[in-house]
Amino acid sequence: MSAADDQRAILVEDLVRTYPGGLRAVDGVNLEVAPGEIYGFLGPNGAGKSTTVRILTTLLRPTSGRAWVAGHDVVAEAGAARRVIGVALQEAALDPLMTGRELLRLQGALHGLRRAQASERGDDLLERVELVDAADRRVGTYSGGMRRRLDLALALVQRPRVLFLDEPTTGLDPASRAALWREVRALNADGTTVFLTTQYLEEAEQLAERVGIIDRGRIVAEGTPDELKARVGEPALHVDLVDPAEAERARELLAAHGECSHRRGGGLIVRMSGARAIAPVVRTLDEAGIEVDTVEVETPTLDDVFLAVTGHAATDDPAPEPSLSA
Amino acid sequence: MSATALDRDAAVQARVVAALAARALRSQLRRAQFLLPAFLLPLLLLAVIASGTSAARHLPGFPSTGAYVGFVVGGTLVQGALLAGLTAGIALAADIEGGFFDRLLTAPVQRVSIVLGRISASIALGVAQASLFLAVAFIFGARYQGGVAGVAIAICIAAIAAGGMAGLASAIALRTGSLSLLQNLFPIVFVFLFTAPAFFPRALLGPTLRHIAVFNPLTYVVEGIRGALHASAALGDPWKGLVAATGLLLVTTVLSVLAMRGRLRAL
Ligand SMILES: Nc1ncnc2c1ncn2[C@@H]1O[C@H](COP(=O)(O)OP(=O)(O)OP(=O)(O)O)[C@@H](O)[C@H]1O
Ligand SMILES: [Mg+2]
Repeated sequence: MSAADDQRAILVEDLVRTYPGGLRAVDGVNLEVAPGEIYGFLGPNGAGKSTTVRILTTLLRPTSGRAWVAGHDVVAEAGAARRVIGVALQEAALDPLMTGRELLRLQGALHGLRRAQASERGDDLLERVELVDAADRRVGTYSGGMRRRLDLALALVQRPRVLFLDEPTTGLDPASRAALWREVRALNADGTTVFLTTQYLEEAEQLAERVGIIDRGRIVAEGTPDELKARVGEPALHVDLVDPAEAERARELLAAHGECSHRRGGGLIVRMSGARAIAPVVRTLDEAGIEVDTVEVETPTLDDVFLAVTGHAATDDPAPEPSLSA
Repeated sequence: MSATALDRDAAVQARVVAALAARALRSQLRRAQFLLPAFLLPLLLLAVIASGTSAARHLPGFPSTGAYVGFVVGGTLVQGALLAGLTAGIALAADIEGGFFDRLLTAPVQRVSIVLGRISASIALGVAQASLFLAVAFIFGARYQGGVAGVAIAICIAAIAAGGMAGLASAIALRTGSLSLLQNLFPIVFVFLFTAPAFFPRALLGPTLRHIAVFNPLTYVVEGIRGALHASAALGDPWKGLVAATGLLLVTTVLSVLAMRGRLRAL
């Protein structure tokens, strides 16, 4: 491996994973994640997200291709890779018969901490994820959100350099989701690289500096959320008038600012050629004596991006199964 | 790797095995469906077999002063050991199905340590069980002519046998990853048990069973336990028991390590 590869937190080259029966769940994935980055891995059910995560966390062998985490080959140097990663899998791997505190201590021991160190670290993390009160209850009695939080705490015991979170907020209520987002941002601010899979476009947009969209085992688009949105088109301005009868006159006036069309309810949609067209639009209408009720900027969402690059919506009916290899 | 680094790694792995064993023991003891078979079932069988009869004085080599329950308890120890080992396999299969096993696999621990933790827990469980069974039998009239040493040796043999069974059950769990398969192995335990002279002297077994018993390591385990408990060479040889139990433990540990390797290769 070249020295340059050490510069990357995650490097994936031509990764393929075929399951028994011939299903190519991961079909030639290439990606790079820089240290300190939050990478959002976005895709619908069955896209191959978890399969990729399981390969990167040494739980699954690639059929072909290679992958490195913090410079360690996940197959040839799996032991070294395990020392630097933290993992919260999609199905939280917890023993329902143990308490949160016991699990944290065990996790510490598994990572070579001595008993006292493991207890101390465990107690710190219980506080961090707000599970102090439930610490001595069996995990079987935890709510879904509590399990997720414990699972995250367990992934942090060894202060990982690269953290893998497979759909960490699926099934969480909005408040818990927001709390987890805050936690992920705080970890990232401390220098942890985060590889996060999600089906939620909003989540990727909120957290990730770069997003890879995976569909049927292949990355179909990659970039910052803004870059991806720029591919779909310019932002549009939704203008509502106080007097809908003036809509036609307004349309004629605004044609100079971009493509302008009527919208149901008497408003107008202006597709702007430049992003900074809001002020001129309002001024033009104002000068003509047309009173503006509301103005809203509608930027394309990653949903639009997904539709544009895959030809089907992310959240619609599930994607057809990935193709079977011959 | 230098010698000190090797030592350090060995010390870390020893801590890992201890932590995994403590966890395995804890969650096994918290599972009612495990405690019932491992602790209650053998005691029930002991009560049933020992209650009806007082044939002790007719048993070759059995001290004339002892109650029959003192003879039967040797079989109870072995039965307990088998069930303790089997429940270890069930717990491992539950870990695999439930995903907890993945947590262990993503940790930087030797894969062998994961197997050894599980087997060590069963040995510890075996000690607890054997002590309990011997105490209960004592309350109901059993006397141990072998004294403290004899009792300690008997417990030791039983605990090692529990580890041996745990190795076998773990190997099956690792090969199949199937919880329901392991749960269906309970009857097999009784086949093992009744093809050894667990509750009767070998001389009282039918000719076919007597032939089979020669090849069942549990024959030597149970006879060794009885020999140690009652300080009677006619009942059995504790050394043979120890060798048989240890042999079983070594062979099945190797089997489960191989099963672990096979499982990881197939990932
Ligand atoms: N152990 C397995 N054996 C066979 N096929 C599998 C296995 N695991 C996953 N698959 C298949 O591989 C494909 C990708 O699965 P994967 O779990 O990676 O998707 P995902 O993107 O994580 O989906 P989700 O959002 O539902 O978690 C799916 O078609 C799935 O059915
Ligand atoms: Mg998944």
